Amino acid sequence: MRFQRFQKFQWFLVVAMAMAAPAFAHHAAAGIDRTKSVTLAGTVKAFGWQNPHSWMEVEVPNEAGVVTTWKVEMTSPAFLIRAGWKATTLKPGDKVTVKVFPLRDGDPGGLFQSVTLADGSTLTERAAAPRPAAQ
Amino acid sequence: MRLIMGVVVALALASAGVAAQQASAPDLGVLAPTNLSKPRPAAPFTVTGTWFIDLGFPGSWRFGPPYPKLTPDAQKHFDAAQKARAEGKVYRDDIGQCWPAGVPLIMTRVWSVSMVQLPTVVYMISGFMNSLRVINMDGRPHTDPDLVVRTFNGDSIGRWEGATLVIDTTGFIDHHHWIDNGIPASDQLHIVERVKLVGPNGTKMQIEYTMTDSKSWEGEWKMTKQWNRVDARDMEIAEVECLPDLNSHIPSTQSKENVR
Repeated sequence: MRFQRFQKFQWFLVVAMAMAAPAFAHHAAAGIDRTKSVTLAGTVKAFGWQNPHSWMEVEVPNEAGVVTTWKVEMTSPAFLIRAGWKATTLKPGDKVTVKVFPLRDGDPGGLFQSVTLADGSTLTERAAAPRPAAQ
Repeated sequence: MRLIMGVVVALALASAGVAAQQASAPDLGVLAPTNLSKPRPAAPFTVTGTWFIDLGFPGSWRFGPPYPKLTPDAQKHFDAAQKARAEGKVYRDDIGQCWPAGVPLIMTRVWSVSMVQLPTVVYMISGFMNSLRVINMDGRPHTDPDLVVRTFNGDSIGRWEGATLVIDTTGFIDHHHWIDNGIPASDQLHIVERVKLVGPNGTKMQIEYTMTDSKSWEGEWKMTKQWNRVDARDMEIAEVECLPDLNSHIPSTQSKENVR
């Protein structure tokens, strides 16, 4: 029992720490401005379920109707699965609202924070709660 | 006479067989059954398992600060990296451009590392880009410097010193290979890792690093890192590759804030 508690805590620590620094896994994140958050209301153009990073492209119209494609980088599928994602969670044509930390250089891209789907549900990259330890 | 001839032939054949064995023995691969089955003292522990860097351990995944006194050439890179950082930029993020992280940094990526220990070899495969380390444990020396193919993970040989696994690595490549941001690894890099299992039931692994590189810093650069054993299925390693077309979808790798 005591060892199981240790395992649970250990797993939680692993995931919590990994989620705190996912961007370091593949590349530096200096190009991302984490002091700002941008909300994108648009349509999914593509969703990549890939290692080491998943990604999505979202077509976002402005008030004049001009559409800009935003590139959004995400963490790896292993972490997304723990947060409730599937490879089929997003499909081209889905209406979504996505929050991102934007690029500093002003290009239309950023680091994923959350997505709200057409059914009103919201997904992030964080697991809702630590999962029980493997037996 | 026939008997004498038979004995001579038998001796000649036996002698040839021994000679052939002696000639081929040094060339045995680490997975050759006759190499694996040689009598050896039992290993004090096994690192076989999957490990994840302990980000709560002092120093976490980075190898500095503190940093050793850098050589003038390395200091130029370090200063440029510090300047970029002060400007909110990043200096030569080669890993983001799909260059291998290389030892030692590959060990502390925020990804699982699976290890398989046999009597003659330890294989370490990082979940990050599936980077492979081969630590030869069959008593061979380092590859001849005139023959070694320099790599990001180097040429590693291991031995047991009591209850410590000592891994000695040389033969590193000096091309797009960094110890930390702005601190280059040269072809003189030499790393000794002293591996121990600690914690309840060997669930933690500590490695004490001693690194020298006369082209990049003075003296020994030492630190200790810690990993947690992770047994869950979803912590296993999988195929992971850095692909140019994937990076085209990862905007921060394309950012103008990257200083090349």
